[in-house]
Amino acid sequence: MIRVLRSELFKFRTTPGPWVVLAVTLVLSALGIVAAFVNPGFGVSFGAPHSIGRLRELVGAGYGAVGIVGPLIGILCVTGEYRHKVITTSLLVTPRRGVLLFAKALASGIWGIVLCVASFVLVAVMGVPLLVSEGGSVDALVRQIPPVAPGLIGAFALLAVFGVGVGALVKNQIAAVVLAIGLSLVLEPVLVELVYHFFHIELNWLPNQDAAALAGGLTRGGQNGPSVVPNELLSWWAGGLALVAWGVGTALLGYFTTFRRDVT
Amino acid sequence: MQGVPIEVRGLTKRFGKVSAVRGLEFTAQPGRVTGFLGPNGAGKTTTLRMLLNLVSPTSGTATIGGSNYRDLAFPSRNVGAVLEATSFHPSRRARSHLSMIAIAAGIDRDRVQEVLDLVGLSADAKRKVGGYSLGMRQRLELAGAMLGDPGVLILDEPANGLDPQGIAWLRAFLRHLASEGRTVLVSSHLLAEMAQTVDDVVIVSEGELRAEGPLSSLAAQVRPSMRVRTPEPARLVSVAKDARLVPTEVAPGIVVVDGAVPEQLGPLLASNQIVVYEMVSEHRGLEELFLELTTSLGGRS
Ligand SMILES: Nc1ncnc2c1ncn2[C@@H]1O[C@H](COP(=O)(O)OP(=O)(O)OP(=O)(O)O)[C@@H](O)[C@H]1O
Ligand SMILES: [Mg+2]
Repeated sequence: MIRVLRSELFKFRTTPGPWVVLAVTLVLSALGIVAAFVNPGFGVSFGAPHSIGRLRELVGAGYGAVGIVGPLIGILCVTGEYRHKVITTSLLVTPRRGVLLFAKALASGIWGIVLCVASFVLVAVMGVPLLVSEGGSVDALVRQIPPVAPGLIGAFALLAVFGVGVGALVKNQIAAVVLAIGLSLVLEPVLVELVYHFFHIELNWLPNQDAAALAGGLTRGGQNGPSVVPNELLSWWAGGLALVAWGVGTALLGYFTTFRRDVT
Repeated sequence: MQGVPIEVRGLTKRFGKVSAVRGLEFTAQPGRVTGFLGPNGAGKTTTLRMLLNLVSPTSGTATIGGSNYRDLAFPSRNVGAVLEATSFHPSRRARSHLSMIAIAAGIDRDRVQEVLDLVGLSADAKRKVGGYSLGMRQRLELAGAMLGDPGVLILDEPANGLDPQGIAWLRAFLRHLASEGRTVLVSSHLLAEMAQTVDDVVIVSEGELRAEGPLSSLAAQVRPSMRVRTPEPARLVSVAKDARLVPTEVAPGIVVVDGAVPEQLGPLLASNQIVVYEMVSEHRGLEELFLELTTSLGGRS
């Protein structure tokens, strides 16, 4: 198992896809950092964040990326192999498909954490100097790391696992990307709104709502905080569990329907 | 590295309405090169993929040393496979492709350089596989199969894309592997390509077994035949007929004598003082037998 996991991580390193995803994470995180300095209100102004909510936004600048790059990394891990038929080689070395899929989920989760850590590093090298130059308090920022970091790391890791599940279910790369990212970023908020509007039911257990709940310290950061998700979120642990369930559920479904199929 | 037998018993595979393999039975023994022969669509690739647990059989079993591939403790250290569809990520370097296998299989990373040397790819090891030629990909696939120094080799049309030197090298290599006691199962749709390499043959067509056994016993079924170039064809024909052979003048001055072996025809022509410019055994027979065995019985084309 350890060997297979190490090989999966090695595969990430030796193809460009995951590095592109890392670059996307950094670009989106940079935008997140800048956004944390832009104060809305009467006329947009640029200045250091002071409220707890705005400081948390700065720490969690990578939050804007997680919904895209999290699933993407997991999807690449599975569908990239089908696309280039590397899956044949992988299955020859690891014929037990459950083991291979599990290793892929773990490796993607780890790469998800790497992406999250990269966003933190960018905050340190880009956000902190900006904060200092705008007269903000680094101490105040550091105090907001504990409420934000664990949840955000969890969201990156678990959305990546969710991506593996979707990839195992829909091995076509484009279809999987459309399903996991298109649907969850575009359709999910619409669905949530509509269902609430008509039935007064909170669909707060969908993947991105779960990620928002898990990164709850960020998304519920005081009254000045952004309303990233307008609805009532689950508690952070319930959101985390629901996200785990999405990952495990899609992976199991994918395993029994698609991933065990003949490779010809 | 000692090989173990490959055993296929009652193996059947249906893809929807297509019966790709039907009740196939054969054994490939250690220490021998077994040619797995049949025309396009005969079910060779499907059978080899079932052996490797990539395709699940509809019924029957395909085992290696008595176990299913997936139950082997270290599959890539016991079995090396070269499959038809080359399966590399185009952006990955050849060396990384092999390292990725070595890591997952628990094979020492030093082996990567050894197998690169073995297949003659060392100079191109740092290149991305996307830029490789067909023959280079085939060599890389072979390198991957040899990483674990396996006792059993399963190769699906490994000669595809190789240049004549490459093919000659491959033949010698397969013979060498078998001489070390390994089991070598190699598919092809050309008997002629394999005749100098294999010990045993398994001939399939339309998913069914048509013949199995040592190549020598197959060759024995073939009526021998000699081709002779002579300035006196008419005399040769009559002498051959008197010896109960079946001579035919196929071109001016060229006579094909069916049923003749060199040990018989040579002395016969000498004792009748017939001038011979050239005399060769014909291999047409083996190829014809192969065609006969693999042509559709139902007359479908
Ligand atoms: N995934 C699949 N779905 C449907 N039919 C398939 C599939 N794979 C193979 N077949 C069919 O099974 C039959 C056997 O194919 P197979 O690839 O095993 O033949 P082969 O002997 O390897 O031929 P070739 O010499 O051309 O490589 C063919 O009729 C083929 O169309
Ligand atoms: Mg084939």
